[in-house]
Amino acid sequence: MPRLDPVALARLGSLPLKARVIVEGALSGLHRARLHGSSVEFAEHKEYSPGDELRHVDWRAFAKLDRYFVKQYEQESQLTVFLVLDGSGSMRFAGSGLSKVEYAGLCLAALAYLIVQQQDKVGLFVFGAPGGDIVVPPRARTSHLTDVLGVIDRAIAGEHGDDDSPAAALERIGELARRKRALIILASDLFDPDDRTLAALRRLRAQRHDVAVLQVLAPEERTFPYEGLTLFEALESDHRLLANPAAIRKDYLERMDAFLARVAEELTGAGVEYHLCPTDRAVEDTLLELLATRQRIGAGGRR
Amino acid sequence: MSFLAPLLLLGLLGLTVPITIHLIGRRRARVVRFAALEFLIATKRRTARRFQLRERMLLVVRVLLCAALPLALAKPITSCASKGPQIARGPQAAVLVVDDSFTAGYRLEGRTLLGRATDEAARLLTQLGPEAEVAVVRASEGAIHPTELSREHLRLRDQLASLSPTARPADLDRALARAAQLLSGSSHERRTIYLLSPLTKGSLRGGDPPWGADGPALEVLDVRDGAALPNLAVVGLKVEPDPGAGSRGIAALAEITNHSLLPAVGLTVSLRVAGQIIARGQLDLAPGETKRKRFLATLPPGRRTAEIAIELPADALTADDRRQAMAQLRDEIRVLLVDGDPHAARHDDELFYVEAALRPGDRAEAGTVVSKITPDELDDVEIDQYDVAVLANVAALPAEDVARLVTWVKAGGGLLVAPGDRVDPAAYERTMLPLLPQSLRDPIDTAWGAAPDERAARALHLTKWEADHPIFAPFAVDAPGLAEARFTKIVLLGPTTDTDDRKVLARFTNGAAALVEARKGDGRLLLFASTLDRDWNDLPIHPGYLPLVQESIRHLARRRVEGATAAIIVGQSASLPTLDLRKLEVRGPERKGAVFEGGRIEGRRSVRFTGADAPGVYRVIGTDRTGATRDRDELAFAVNLDPRGSDLAPAPASQLPGAGSGTEGASRPSERRVELWHAIAAALLMLLLIESVLIQRAR
Repeated sequence: MPRLDPVALARLGSLPLKARVIVEGALSGLHRARLHGSSVEFAEHKEYSPGDELRHVDWRAFAKLDRYFVKQYEQESQLTVFLVLDGSGSMRFAGSGLSKVEYAGLCLAALAYLIVQQQDKVGLFVFGAPGGDIVVPPRARTSHLTDVLGVIDRAIAGEHGDDDSPAAALERIGELARRKRALIILASDLFDPDDRTLAALRRLRAQRHDVAVLQVLAPEERTFPYEGLTLFEALESDHRLLANPAAIRKDYLERMDAFLARVAEELTGAGVEYHLCPTDRAVEDTLLELLATRQRIGAGGRR
Repeated sequence: MSFLAPLLLLGLLGLTVPITIHLIGRRRARVVRFAALEFLIATKRRTARRFQLRERMLLVVRVLLCAALPLALAKPITSCASKGPQIARGPQAAVLVVDDSFTAGYRLEGRTLLGRATDEAARLLTQLGPEAEVAVVRASEGAIHPTELSREHLRLRDQLASLSPTARPADLDRALARAAQLLSGSSHERRTIYLLSPLTKGSLRGGDPPWGADGPALEVLDVRDGAALPNLAVVGLKVEPDPGAGSRGIAALAEITNHSLLPAVGLTVSLRVAGQIIARGQLDLAPGETKRKRFLATLPPGRRTAEIAIELPADALTADDRRQAMAQLRDEIRVLLVDGDPHAARHDDELFYVEAALRPGDRAEAGTVVSKITPDELDDVEIDQYDVAVLANVAALPAEDVARLVTWVKAGGGLLVAPGDRVDPAAYERTMLPLLPQSLRDPIDTAWGAAPDERAARALHLTKWEADHPIFAPFAVDAPGLAEARFTKIVLLGPTTDTDDRKVLARFTNGAAALVEARKGDGRLLLFASTLDRDWNDLPIHPGYLPLVQESIRHLARRRVEGATAAIIVGQSASLPTLDLRKLEVRGPERKGAVFEGGRIEGRRSVRFTGADAPGVYRVIGTDRTGATRDRDELAFAVNLDPRGSDLAPAPASQLPGAGSGTEGASRPSERRVELWHAIAAALLMLLLIESVLIQRAR
């Protein structure tokens, strides 16, 4: 099935429409497209039959009854998902395609649509956006989707952002979702000069939340394709830098690759689901990757 | 600085181009809003400084390039005052006259003048170009000159590099004459002599140049650069035996000159005898002053000759801070006294006073070995063993004895004849004339017939002696020790005999000859007209007697003493007596020398050594007829530098020869045009290279 070009998708109109197109169009063919959490509950015993997973055999029951039973689980009744959108200045970088915040917004909008469709609760936290941090508490109502998508739409629409780190937002979510385990999906470029974001993500994992990170990067940030004398201007500050890109390309790419490798290594090591999302990649591909991973985790049971 | 094409300087407006491009380039830099600026800044922090530096360097290089191009095209020139000659490349004839005298060994600012001259000559050679026909003429006295001009510049460079200061003074006139002669044979129109010399006063005689009006151009390069060249030099050394210091005593008389504009105070002068410094003295010398310093010393025991050197502390010209001589003690003179009137009582003996005079105080080292015989014993004596014989009041000898004596005298012996009561003039007339400078007449007795109190008044005295003669050298003009002696009886002298160079050395107050000298063959005859004892006079008891007898004996033995060659100057020849040797070898200080044997020495009484081209002591080794070889110390001689070369005062301009063909005067400072565009063009190329490297690195 052909994928939708993100730029073409962006031209589709309102965000709800885009989310719907993504979910119902691109993802409709998939069997049971569903976002799984990892929080599952024991349902019943079933006598073992060949093909059942051995790891689900209840050895205590076998000791008492001398027969093999396997445990059967059920998904937690209602999944709570916190979508965290990085609306900071660095996410406003567009390169030749969508800006990073647009791409992240599309991904999160589609996810929100999907979550509401499966009657799970979805909340939204936008930080670094021009109007300050915006929190939409998790709800499962269909009308709630409108609020979420509206906030995302406004966050995308702003031209400038702050230089906030996702760390503070993540800590707040940790507080908000303290009582109940939740799936937290962060869409950000993780350009955090002081590594606080990674630490906050590790803390969320320690609080037994499921955490997924979509690291959104523009292709230009991966390849640095500029030529000729160029004046680089920071998006989050007044820093300017006049440089000959050819002279610094090699060094820059080495630093960027080292950064990405470190982020991937640290997050994976902390049990955080990590996805690198270039903005020229089809949104549904990103979502499918995320859903597939979630499905695998859900099938794997409690981690 | 001026420009040959100043209009092209308008091109300097092009300077604005790189600056404008640079500024515009900055302004037109593409602006990119970039998220990962932190990464860039981290990267840039390392490269930014390098990048900015490179950018600025590029700007500077480009500005310089834009400036260099019009500047080079405008052909800038400048001029500078230069003592150096104006050299034009191309076909021409040139002679480089290089002063390689010992004066050129003077060290000025760490380099010898010769080193400066050869460097300058090598530079000239480069400037003249490969088409120039060139010769290098050495300016030291006696140097061998080239016979033709040459284009083999490599060989000429080798020749220049191999030059070292000789031991001879400079003779610029001869060198310039030879240079002119070489150039006269050239067909080139441009003919130049380049004279590279410190131009000392002594190196030029002045006068007309050795070429005519159409002679070559002369360019003079003063290698001293106008600097004063102070120099202290030992310019003379004379060594002679000094009896006053004992029989081994010598006196060294050194002459030291201060050739500088400042006085020399407390100058240490050292005397070295046989390699050991044995005396030091101090001297103050005013500028230009010459002083003599006399040292007394004794030769080491067992040596009759020794090398003597006078040394000064080393200065910029070390060659003339030392001067050498050979000290030679007089050989012991073997004297045969023939006593014609021997007497048992010593003081009555005819030769009592002569013996006493020759051996004063019976000292063993009197310098004479005296043998006394009677006339009868003369047959038994080998007269060749003696240097001097004294016939004192000896009756006329037989003809065969006379013949032996004549042969001996002709071979170099010295004979002193003194009359007495036993001498019969008639008998002497018959046999003894070959041994006399003049025949004898009857004696006269001035006291004859006089009253005792008048005898003293009628006595004769010595007078009119030849004060310049070696025998009378120790006496003052009115030496009372001689003049007061009274002669009461003398023998008058008759016609001269068959001798050479007869000379009356002293007379009596009555005009009669008192002491007559003559030469016979290689020997000498001396005739005293009175007795040697107190029979006819009282001279023996006067102070003049002793020196008179001693000097007379030494004078008669002079042939032996004259064996040695006096010190000579480098380049002079030394005459060496062959001493009947079969082979004679001269060895110089640098192992150079000469061997005289076979036809070069056979039948000759002396040989001439011409190889004294370095200062120092030249030893002589002789092989006699028996084949025995030994050092002939008595023939060793010292060779010294010509003191003329020690005066480094600059020659006055009038002494410099004028150039021919209406060329510029010598050593006149000239304005030299210096073309700058070659250097600017070279810089331009270099800048282009730098720019391409910078651009390459920026990529």
